[in-house]
Amino acid sequence: MSKGTIFNIEEFAVHDGPGIRKLVFFKGCPLHCSWCHNPEGISFRKELMVSHTACIDCSKCREVCTSEKCIACGRCIEVCPLRLRKVCGQEFEACELANELLKGKEILINSGGGITISGGEPLAQPAFLFGLIEHLKPLNIAVETSGHAAAPIFQKMVSVVDLVLMDIKHTDPVIHKRYTGVDNHQILENLEFLCGSDTDFYIRVPLIPGVNDTRENMEKTAWLLKDAKHLKRVELLPYHQTAGAKYPMVNKQFDPGFDTNKKVNVWKDVFENYNINISVL
Amino acid sequence: MNQRIKTILDDIFQKKHHVFRQNIAPDVLSGFTVSLKEQKIPDVLRVQKRLSWVLQNELPVILPGEKIVFMRTVPKIPEIFTEEEWTEIRKEHYIHELGRICNISSNYSYTIEVGLEQRRKEVLQSIDIHLAQGDKHGVQFLQVVLHAIDDIEKLADRYAELAINSGREDIFLILNRIPREGAKTFREALQFFRILHFGLWASGNYHNTVGRFDQYMFKYLKNDLDSGTLDYDSAFELLEEFFISFNKDSDLYPGMQQGDNGQSLVLGGVDENGNDAFNLLSEMCLKASLELKLIDPKINLRVTKNTPVEIYDLGTELTKQGLGFPQYSNDEVVIPGLLSKGYELKDARDYVVAACWEFIIPGQGMDIPNIAALSFARVVDTCVKKYLKTATDFNSFMDGVRQEMKEELESIGPGLSNIYSEPAPLQSLLMNGCIEKARDISVGGKYNNYGIHGTGISTAVDSLTAIKKYVFEEKLVSAGEISDAIRNNFEGSDRLWEKLRYDAPKMGNDDDFADHIAVELLDAFSELTANMKNENGGCFRPGSGSAMYYLWHVKDIGASADGRKKGEPLSANFSPGLNVKVKGPLSIIKSFSKPDMKKIMNGGPLTLELHDTVFRNPESIRKVSYLVKSYMDLGGHQLQINAVNREQLIAAKEHPELYRNLIVRVWGWSGYFTELDEVYQDHIIQRVELSV
Repeated sequence: MSKGTIFNIEEFAVHDGPGIRKLVFFKGCPLHCSWCHNPEGISFRKELMVSHTACIDCSKCREVCTSEKCIACGRCIEVCPLRLRKVCGQEFEACELANELLKGKEILINSGGGITISGGEPLAQPAFLFGLIEHLKPLNIAVETSGHAAAPIFQKMVSVVDLVLMDIKHTDPVIHKRYTGVDNHQILENLEFLCGSDTDFYIRVPLIPGVNDTRENMEKTAWLLKDAKHLKRVELLPYHQTAGAKYPMVNKQFDPGFDTNKKVNVWKDVFENYNINISVL
Repeated sequence: MNQRIKTILDDIFQKKHHVFRQNIAPDVLSGFTVSLKEQKIPDVLRVQKRLSWVLQNELPVILPGEKIVFMRTVPKIPEIFTEEEWTEIRKEHYIHELGRICNISSNYSYTIEVGLEQRRKEVLQSIDIHLAQGDKHGVQFLQVVLHAIDDIEKLADRYAELAINSGREDIFLILNRIPREGAKTFREALQFFRILHFGLWASGNYHNTVGRFDQYMFKYLKNDLDSGTLDYDSAFELLEEFFISFNKDSDLYPGMQQGDNGQSLVLGGVDENGNDAFNLLSEMCLKASLELKLIDPKINLRVTKNTPVEIYDLGTELTKQGLGFPQYSNDEVVIPGLLSKGYELKDARDYVVAACWEFIIPGQGMDIPNIAALSFARVVDTCVKKYLKTATDFNSFMDGVRQEMKEELESIGPGLSNIYSEPAPLQSLLMNGCIEKARDISVGGKYNNYGIHGTGISTAVDSLTAIKKYVFEEKLVSAGEISDAIRNNFEGSDRLWEKLRYDAPKMGNDDDFADHIAVELLDAFSELTANMKNENGGCFRPGSGSAMYYLWHVKDIGASADGRKKGEPLSANFSPGLNVKVKGPLSIIKSFSKPDMKKIMNGGPLTLELHDTVFRNPESIRKVSYLVKSYMDLGGHQLQINAVNREQLIAAKEHPELYRNLIVRVWGWSGYFTELDEVYQDHIIQRVELSV
């Protein structure tokens, strides 16, 4: 029995691995990337999430609230006449979550798809992750990870999934730490293992203007991948203005620490020079 | 698209051809109608005189560069009866819509193949036979058909004359052969179709569908390509020009809304032997429609269990354009559905789609597939008032629902008695058997069935689901309380309203609790219509389409037990309720394939809205294709996908309550549009603007 917390299931993910995939988001992440577009995925705890756009300011939520600091007790949720409030973070037993994800599995299978486990950081809830994967097999499983995890956990994950989607956010440890809160030695070590493994993988690079979109960093990224036998592609994800959209919903400030209006540089040719299949999402 | 097509398209967009439209004063039209009345002639002669009047008043026009001619310059068709006469007719007869033949599908192919002179011979032969039988009415009808042939040939001659006088020998040579002789080439066949279609509209018939164009036109294309008369590019160019021609006069055609003109074209599906018939022309049609981005002709794509995913990809590429088509229909469900209602196998395999979604038989059917509608939402509304307080359990309440449906359906038949339509001689020439039998299509064809739309299905299902769960199972609320709350439009019952609206199970979430009620309700619809007959001996066909009824029917009812407040719209067609937040498209297709749609065979699509970013690259296009294919594999009957556009996003911003399911891809993630902050909503709207 292994329990874990997720914050969302997306039913028709079309950009996260082959075929039609359900995408499940594990809650909690050891990194704090300043550009993170899923701020509700960072904390391991349940938290209140509020959609302010349609709010009519009826004050019913304030009337029932008894604590000074939000403890995500949920009392305000059911009094909201428009159901704009929810507790973000749902606890599941692995088998219970698997049953939910396996609904409609024939559609996933017939399209050559499966389940992608994302987050947050799925490797931060390893027992839950491996329990879930066991229940989902033989469905095609992909894991989307920052790569920041203890080597044994990472290596076990690589050995049990069909596809790994791994980020390389920056090759320089100092810059990496400045923008994500952790340095990248663990990530690069795991990457080396992945490159030498027999598991298919994609590398994803969020392109952050002025942070990692230099030719030099792309060269280093490509160089790290040059000998990987099972690298299927590199996907560049240019930073988008909407990254901060969900911060107000979890009562956080979006403070990315770089110029969000700056145009990002997209160096496709760097990867092409290494004969790496490259796409921009 | 080459420069010639671009120019023609541009001219049509700019409505340059409208300058040729004649300004015919309203009193000229009404004067014509009065003169028909004064001549004291029967309807069949009146329609003959009307067609002659229209075609004689037409002024041939050849627009710069065009190869396929015929365009309306007479903007309005006169009536054959005065308003007083119509009032009298209505006292005795049921009149469907405008009282003219509409929304059926012609057999164009035979006439295009043999030519009007051969058809004239057949009419003359039939006149001889019916003269000998003393069938005066029959002979009169056939003589009117001859007049129609004359009128069309004369207008074609005047076009030919204009062509030679304006140095367009190419057009002259074509019109010198057709429509008198049968078409030999692809271009002749297209021109011939245009003339016949033009003739139908000029006769006052409307929702003139195009049918299985890729099937009946393919042999001309193939001959030309095989013989080297045409290469692929020139054939494609002709096809594009032909498609543009559907948009020249479409603003003059009658319909509920601009664009509701019934120019449906059907591609693919099985042939008469059950083999997959998708061909090169089918593919060219999808590509032409994709390039032109015009709302006409409206593309329907028939699929079978053998349709390869690559064909779905072509369809999905077209969906991406945001026009709302192709609309897919599933042969594996539709054909058995038609068989169960007594259609012959050969005919069922030849089905086409009427103006909206109804399945009809080209050349054979005089079905009226949109004659009436059953408002499921009203049935439940009535039952809540009538039975809920006395029902002992949910099953006994459902018995009441069935009883109410039965009474509603039984009340439909008598209202439709002694139906009358204006005769339609040219349309009759294009329907099988009318000439031999010397009978106008308005008195019936091989199939004379009526279709009943089913509207507000999801509203009814969600309402019944909430009643079952909260009144009978959890006993959270009493029958009296919920009835009163609904009657008072939930005023003063906020908590109950919220519970019903947001927390109750809903159809569209792959939840058997709700979905089984849909199965039960639609099975009942099928059973209750099974033995109904119309006055022509035809059956009644239950359907899941709503047409405009989803707006009309909401006026008959107040709030409903699904938490819908008075005046809030029902969802269109076969789709989740508008305020229901569903888990996603997979759950929707699962829910909406649980009822046996072979029984609900009149048609009416599941509609899905997907944001245009899911169509971003060939890989994601393929996934949408699999989504469509999955619905078909699960037993879905008909599906239509909207790539969501800017207008919708703006509407969603203004009315977030109605667009809760609108999913947008934002960066590396997807989210509900209505949950985003305004600044991000605006940003996405802006992005959509840029991507157009």
